[in-house]
Amino acid sequence: MAATSRDTGEKKTNPPGHPCFTARGVRRGALEIAPLALFVMPFGIAFGGAAAAKAVPASIAMLMSGSMFAGAAQFAVLDLWRDPLPLAMLALTVLAVNARHILLGAALAPWFLRVPLARRLSALLFLSDPNFAQAMAARERGELDAGILFGSGLAMWFVWLAGTAIGAYGGAYLGDLARFGFDAVMVSYFAAVVLGQWRSTRDLVPWIAAAAAALLGSRLLPPGWHIIIGALAGGVTGAWRHGR
Amino acid sequence: MVGDVTAVGAIMVLALVTLATRLAGVWIMSYVEITARIEAFLKYMATSVFIAIVVPAAVNGAPRIGFAVGAAAVAMIASRSALAAMLIGAAVAAAAKSVGL
Repeated sequence: MAATSRDTGEKKTNPPGHPCFTARGVRRGALEIAPLALFVMPFGIAFGGAAAAKAVPASIAMLMSGSMFAGAAQFAVLDLWRDPLPLAMLALTVLAVNARHILLGAALAPWFLRVPLARRLSALLFLSDPNFAQAMAARERGELDAGILFGSGLAMWFVWLAGTAIGAYGGAYLGDLARFGFDAVMVSYFAAVVLGQWRSTRDLVPWIAAAAAALLGSRLLPPGWHIIIGALAGGVTGAWRHGR
Repeated sequence: MVGDVTAVGAIMVLALVTLATRLAGVWIMSYVEITARIEAFLKYMATSVFIAIVVPAAVNGAPRIGFAVGAAAVAMIASRSALAAMLIGAAVAAAAKSVGL
């Protein structure tokens, strides 16, 4: 199955280089993510529109998008947004929905820990699911420049902010975005990313463990936690089978 | 109506929580030696994050989301292009919506 890299035209051998963070990498990351970043726009519009529908001022919605840059968590926050603000519940919900960032960061560690500290921290500022997936695919092709994660994240941040602005200031006129299938774009992309990682039938058991744990968790646990449970189940199963 | 000062303060706290999750993974791993087994753990865990988002969304969500994910999977296997898979997934979801699914 999908054993080869998605960019078949490009034959990059592993350069004898060292992990780094350069402006060229930032630019390359931004350009590579551009087609996908466009699909962030409708999600931003949807968020801005939802905020407008809850009478949250446009400036507050913009501040959320600019400072958090985390779609699923922001929607969860919007759901809990009322007077008086339930701050502890908000913080825990955001932690649960975003805890997967910890897993993504851990997966980047073998590469990023060899980048100098200040650059390593800035490269992680815009870490999210799509640019993580792109960076991991690039790493598979021999990429060593951590700047691509920053560049792709920055590009998506701009689009996310622009989408939020359109939605927050003009959302009422746009109607239901599901009509255009925009609400299925992210899951479709994630499904493709998963299949792109397929190497052999050894992958099957960890993948089934992840799916089963996530499915069970989505029925039994508070929102967000099934992602953590599923990810841990897949990781533990994969590591356990590795030694055999 | 939430007051502006309260709202801005709360958003700053939530932004810090989010930032902490972005930085924590690499930081934690700087204290753990990365063996072959840990690499296998991380590799499967990374893929499993997406499995854990997609599978419950496809099973528990509206049927159209399930159709979209199925179509995207077939498109990915056939074309090896994530972009094509994404477009076909969205097209299937839009078509399903138009017939009321």
